[in-house]
Amino acid sequence: MEHSFASPSGHPQPHQRHFNPYSENGGTILAIAGANFSVIAGDTRQSEGYSIQTRYAPKVFRLTDKAVLATNGFAADGNMFVKKVRQRLEWYRHAHSKDMPIRAIARLIQTMLYARRFFPYYVYNILGGIEEDGSGAVYSFDPVGSYEREACRAAGAAQSLVQPFLDNQIYFKNQTPAHGTSHPAHLPLDHVLELVIDSFTSATERHIEVGDGLEIYVVLAKGSTPQVLDRWQGVTEMTTTQDGERMFVIRRNLKRD
Amino acid sequence: MTSVFSPPGFNFSNQSRNDFIAEKGIPMPKATSTGTTIVGCLFADGIVLGADTRATEGDIVADKNCEKIHYITESIRCCGAGTAADTEFTTALISSNMELHALSTGRKPRVVTAMTMLKQMLFRHHGNIGAALVLGGVDATGPHLFTVAPHGSTDKLPYVTMGSGSLAAMAVFESSWKPNMSRDDALQLVKDAISAGIFNDLGSGSNVDACIITASHTEMLRNVEMPNQRVEKERQYRFARGTTAWKSEEIRKLVVSEEVILLAGGDEMDTT
Amino acid sequence: MNTLVQRFSTTSAQSEINKAKALAADDQDFDDFAWGSEAGFGTIAKGVPTFSLPAVPDPRAFLRLHTDDHADPNCRIKIQHGTTTLAFRFKGGVIVAVDSRATAGSYIASGTVKKVIEINPYLLGTMAGGAADCQFWETYLGMHCRLHELRNRERISVSAASKYLSNLVYNYKGMGLSMGTMICGWDKTGPSVFYVDSDGTRLKGNLFSVGSGSTHAYGVLDQGYHWDLSDEDAQELGRRSIYAAGHRDAYSGNTCNLYHIKEDGWHFIGNYDISKMHYEGPGNVPGSENVGYGYDVRVVGRSSANPPPSAPTPVVAA
Repeated sequence: MEHSFASPSGHPQPHQRHFNPYSENGGTILAIAGANFSVIAGDTRQSEGYSIQTRYAPKVFRLTDKAVLATNGFAADGNMFVKKVRQRLEWYRHAHSKDMPIRAIARLIQTMLYARRFFPYYVYNILGGIEEDGSGAVYSFDPVGSYEREACRAAGAAQSLVQPFLDNQIYFKNQTPAHGTSHPAHLPLDHVLELVIDSFTSATERHIEVGDGLEIYVVLAKGSTPQVLDRWQGVTEMTTTQDGERMFVIRRNLKRD
Repeated sequence: MTSVFSPPGFNFSNQSRNDFIAEKGIPMPKATSTGTTIVGCLFADGIVLGADTRATEGDIVADKNCEKIHYITESIRCCGAGTAADTEFTTALISSNMELHALSTGRKPRVVTAMTMLKQMLFRHHGNIGAALVLGGVDATGPHLFTVAPHGSTDKLPYVTMGSGSLAAMAVFESSWKPNMSRDDALQLVKDAISAGIFNDLGSGSNVDACIITASHTEMLRNVEMPNQRVEKERQYRFARGTTAWKSEEIRKLVVSEEVILLAGGDEMDTT
Repeated sequence: MNTLVQRFSTTSAQSEINKAKALAADDQDFDDFAWGSEAGFGTIAKGVPTFSLPAVPDPRAFLRLHTDDHADPNCRIKIQHGTTTLAFRFKGGVIVAVDSRATAGSYIASGTVKKVIEINPYLLGTMAGGAADCQFWETYLGMHCRLHELRNRERISVSAASKYLSNLVYNYKGMGLSMGTMICGWDKTGPSVFYVDSDGTRLKGNLFSVGSGSTHAYGVLDQGYHWDLSDEDAQELGRRSIYAAGHRDAYSGNTCNLYHIKEDGWHFIGNYDISKMHYEGPGNVPGSENVGYGYDVRVVGRSSANPPPSAPTPVVAA
């Protein structure tokens, strides 16, 4: 006769708890590519449920002088993932004595995410920076590694609030140009920065998980002038090499309620 | 023959159908909730009530400046947390009944009366009315402060908090509340408690409302503090005429003019 | 007993999991291949890439719990789904046409997805189902096609390439991969199209459409398909079929990407906005009359009060 755990109805059967290694930490990230620059931004609030875990947890990370990675979703997975990407980039530097080009970083991130196809990182990634030809680039990823190069992308809690705004203002969706004119293919840097700031102040107004602080990374291609950043407050230069690309971060406050 | 009897109270006939639909993966529509911080505290001359002004639908802010301190009678007010519609209708109903009660007894109604009406109503509905309330007021027997939970249980305490921000607010009360505080100190304490909820609880936000009730006077302080004003946008988003595409155009005159030709002989109004 | 069989069997999906578990145990990130520029594909020397698995009794159930939006619409990791893709073979080669919409639940995650994967200059793959699954495995297939060329001094046949992919995904059967793809190309046998999906199905055929909008596309495709179609008419048929699906299927739309494979390899024909095709037509392209596909142009100025002038008078039988 077989022994079984089946018991008469009414008595609880042995029950396995679901293994749940994931959490959701709110926040929103966003990136926009220009002709010769790239802007990557994220708020700094980290929350769980209705509680704020910290008002300053960066979601945007410098990878090289021409590549920035923004992560959103489960913060622990995101931080671990960035750590592993940086490790691989350092190995590449040791092997090749140069920084990995951004399109190669994008493919690297795909394979690293897909290696966890059956135990995914719960992270939405957006990679921004400067391509080898000097153009601004944005790559967006899903949690298991499908990716695409785009002109702009929002992800995270307020994605559905911000992306339609970007579609309208960057891609000029649902806007017919005045007769005899056409929409510009690329917007200038200060225009893009204004759109980024307005995206986040608006998302802060209407989404409870967005707020506290805003970090905007700006990557400029070789030869472009950083003078356009003069009108902005709180700009810090992050450039570390003499390659020519320059990286800046702009920090701003957002509402804290 | 089908029954024409309809029982009083809520109609649950769609309950099992809705459970089935939910199981199939279609979630029920979300009610607006005031995922809220509401507080009340006793001071030397009466009661101070406080509330934040954020209403949410899930993680989206539905109303940035809603009113959560509801009128019951002139000297009794009630803060509501939970499902917005439930708190509003419950307090409005009790307010009506309190007025009728006052008219039929010819006396100023007491806070316990409102409290009893509320708890009996909520208990009758087994928690299906999602109202968590802070009831406060001053009557012939003095100042009273209650909380009423959705299932109908009540507490009578010198300082109370409710809603998702209740822990943040209670932390402030526990550290600083003292008996027989002055009006200004009590108001400041309530502002601090609500602010704690506004800044530390994601379900609460925007402004502080307060209400000071004493034996002689009730003072509703709407938006007594506004620490979260909207910042100015960097750009202006105005669209040039002709931005929106259209498929066809039709212009119609809405004003219809007609000419009236009088027949022979006047038929003026008789004004004699 | 059953679990015992599973544990020691060498063919079941469970044994795959056990194998992968054993491999995941020695940290795969720290092998020699990770040091250079091979990225994650460094593992190609070992044969098949390795995957980390959660330490739970049933990793498949774990994955389903956290990613499958049919089981739980509120699950956190949304994998992109929803598509219309088609490919057909005719005397002039192969036409491949796809839409460009990616959906996550009811949200349009992207309207600019490249659902045609350029495996090499002679092979195209299409993407339906999990975007990452298709992108990754078809890229991986591309590497093996190149190895085949180096080893055998000739291009891989479409048949062999598709079988390679089919065998690859069959190794992971039951583990939650989701892909429905058409491998298209021109080889010694002429133009050919193979349908391969994650269940292990592999079919040779003249005409396929895959995805949530495939029924709409088939409607147009079947009606207009002919082996002797001219190049222009074939391209127009592909465009018109994707338009039909994009118009009627909520999970397909935005734009249509059109490819034509000829003897000298594939050619990108163009990208066409589906709304624009509805109102204005695909533009001045060969094979098209350049009028909107929508029926607006056929009903303009017509109503019951204003019947078409050439309407024949009904004849009443005596």
